[in-house]
Amino acid sequence: MSPYFESYLTVGTFAALGAVLVMVMLGVASVLRPTNPTAAKRATYECGVDPVGSGWSQTYVRYYVFGLLFVIFDVEAVFIFPWAIAAEELGVFGLVAMFLFILTLLEGLAYAIKKGVLRWE
Amino acid sequence: MVETIIFVLMGLAAIAGAITVVMARNPVYSAIGLLGTLFAVAVLYVLQLAHFVAAVQVIVYAGAVLTLFLFVIMLIGVDKEENREENLRFQRPVVGVLAGVIVVMAAALTAFGDFDWVPASGAVIPEVTNGTIQAVAEPLFTDWVLAFEATALLLTIAAAGAIALAHYRRRESTDG
Amino acid sequence: MTWEIDYLALAPELVIVVTLLVVLALDLFLTRPNKYWTATAAVAGTALAAIPLVILAVEGENVSMFEGSYVVDEFALVLKGLFVVSAYLVLLLSHHYIESERFYQGEYYFLLLASVLGSLVMASARDLIILFIGLELTTGPLFLLAGWRKGDAKSNEASVKYFILGVLSTAILLWGMSMLYGLTGEITFAGLATATAGLADEPAMIVAVLFVIVGFAFKISAAPFHFWAPDTYEGAPTPVTAYLSVNSKAAGFVAFLLVMYLALPELSEIWAPALWILAAASMTLGNLSALRQSNIVRLLAYSSIAQAGFMLVPFAAAAVAGTNIEEGFSATVIYLVIYALMNVGAFATVIAGANRTATGDIDGWAGLGKIDARLGVLIGIFFFSLAGIPPLAGWFAKFAMFRAVILAGGTATVVLAVIAAVNAVIALYYYARVIKAVWLDDAPAEVPARAETPPSVSLRLALLISAALTIVIGFFPAIATFVGDASRIIAAGG
Repeated sequence: MSPYFESYLTVGTFAALGAVLVMVMLGVASVLRPTNPTAAKRATYECGVDPVGSGWSQTYVRYYVFGLLFVIFDVEAVFIFPWAIAAEELGVFGLVAMFLFILTLLEGLAYAIKKGVLRWE
Repeated sequence: MVETIIFVLMGLAAIAGAITVVMARNPVYSAIGLLGTLFAVAVLYVLQLAHFVAAVQVIVYAGAVLTLFLFVIMLIGVDKEENREENLRFQRPVVGVLAGVIVVMAAALTAFGDFDWVPASGAVIPEVTNGTIQAVAEPLFTDWVLAFEATALLLTIAAAGAIALAHYRRRESTDG
Repeated sequence: MTWEIDYLALAPELVIVVTLLVVLALDLFLTRPNKYWTATAAVAGTALAAIPLVILAVEGENVSMFEGSYVVDEFALVLKGLFVVSAYLVLLLSHHYIESERFYQGEYYFLLLASVLGSLVMASARDLIILFIGLELTTGPLFLLAGWRKGDAKSNEASVKYFILGVLSTAILLWGMSMLYGLTGEITFAGLATATAGLADEPAMIVAVLFVIVGFAFKISAAPFHFWAPDTYEGAPTPVTAYLSVNSKAAGFVAFLLVMYLALPELSEIWAPALWILAAASMTLGNLSALRQSNIVRLLAYSSIAQAGFMLVPFAAAAVAGTNIEEGFSATVIYLVIYALMNVGAFATVIAGANRTATGDIDGWAGLGKIDARLGVLIGIFFFSLAGIPPLAGWFAKFAMFRAVILAGGTATVVLAVIAAVNAVIALYYYARVIKAVWLDDAPAEVPARAETPPSVSLRLALLISAALTIVIGFFPAIATFVGDASRIIAAGG
């Protein structure tokens, strides 16, 4: 195995550990606990109120704009990663470039705030 | 050897995810299938030493874009009855035949192994084992800094334009 | 770091960037009655961007930045000049239109200027990445602007159709570009030009080039990739339509031609026949469909598809014949510049005419010349110019086209020339039909009530400028020849 993959081995190990941990905990619990299901116990928990209708319900259109803004700033974050890694070599020029990049996007954010998109009416 | 095993596993996972996308009755399961495909492809990118692309794949596609898909699915409402009548009745057989052709072609290519019709690339592949993100960063902030700044503008356009088109206010006339 | 940025060479772009950011910021702080300041800022900024262009043109120095990826030479400057002038005219058209219909104003100008910026970037782009970003910057805002009449189903349809097909074409284009890069390892045009030598027979290369062509053909709405254009043109707000058919089309054309001409000259045996087919199909389909239109905007939509065909003729003919390619290229660029100027004017008359008669039907314009003689004359100027009647600018475009075709020679070229000639006659018929309705048909018994207001000052100014340019270039084609010379230099210098 090349050293390249050895570094990813850590990632794989942690992922496997996480999965095993969950399985072990749930498995141990299911062995230890008494099982006595009733209809009320199996119902979906909804703040103590009896659940109404199906779990698949339509969401409000207003969330969509949040989703959209999230994608946009997520992409911004992606661009910041390579800059952060090479920030030292890129020097002042890189800093200014990134500053302008973020500033432009901030204007978009200012626009969203001013238009009341982030305000819940 | 390890590469081959990972490649086969992830290739199968990607195909399984893609089949789920098409076959699942519930669109939410389709979205989850897509998530599986995107993750598997991200691992394939890592296999190709493209860390940055893999990270982008997970963060942007599996993270953000898929969230958006789920929003749209839930917005339309998965609890609603769907019209499942197919208007193009010949569609399925045609797709079946085409898929068969592709499988046969792929099998033939692998069996007779002649890939020479793709000319060798003249690209100089930098010796990187660790840190292709660095290799992405330097040209991004030197030769293509213009494209980089333009991308910021593109994102702002997307934000402002989407808000202007999609945002609904009740008091449209007073403070618009 | 060894490289430097020449900020003067970038000045037109920088002015536009600052303007559009200011416009968006202004929009946040202005109250509704004062929103017109965003329009003023946009118009002023665009006018300001012309100053560095003139300075650069006078200096006449070629600037090459980012390892040859971004070039400011005479050719780029001429095209940037065209983009700035036509953007200025479209802004003048928009001003009253956007204000009177209570659209979002600040965002409108922000998006429009962003699109202008994209076209400026494309004129200078000499590598695939910057070209692609420029293309995205040009078309992205237009997906949104096409749907700017939010309450109108037709506008929504325009936006959705344009968006879906636009994104599809972008994907195909990007796929083709990535294959080009994968096959050669080169991203700059100069690098591609050397690296593609001798690869014309490679199947993968043929697929890559065809994908790039299909992607661009969607952008310039050349047949058979034009289906989105008529519906989008009809549904979008008219100034946006004017912009779509002038700036965005011209920008797409420039990018298309540059990639073929500068990046892939060695592969002309792949793309030349494809361009030939695109040219012939666009002219014929565009013109035949235009014959049947009753709505003036749809007529202009099909006319612009046909004109795209005419524009491709000299370049395609020269490339197929393999001789005098510079002549073909410069004739195409001349045609492009003249088309852009006269088509803006035609759309200005459409806005003015629709304002006067309250209809976009050609029949509804019957007798318009008798009601409003000045508008009638202007309609005559622009539509006859589009048809190519001397002494209006359009004749020189057609003249340059046929001259380049004759210089190229060869059987395939002659066939294309015959198709072009037949189409020029067909086109004359439907352009003349509009003029006949305006001047010869009787006005309806009761003169239609003038729509609320007389044409605004800015609309008059736009009409005046474009009419003046159309007439002056018609009488002094030397101005347009200069454009052609500038594009010939690019052939020599690269």
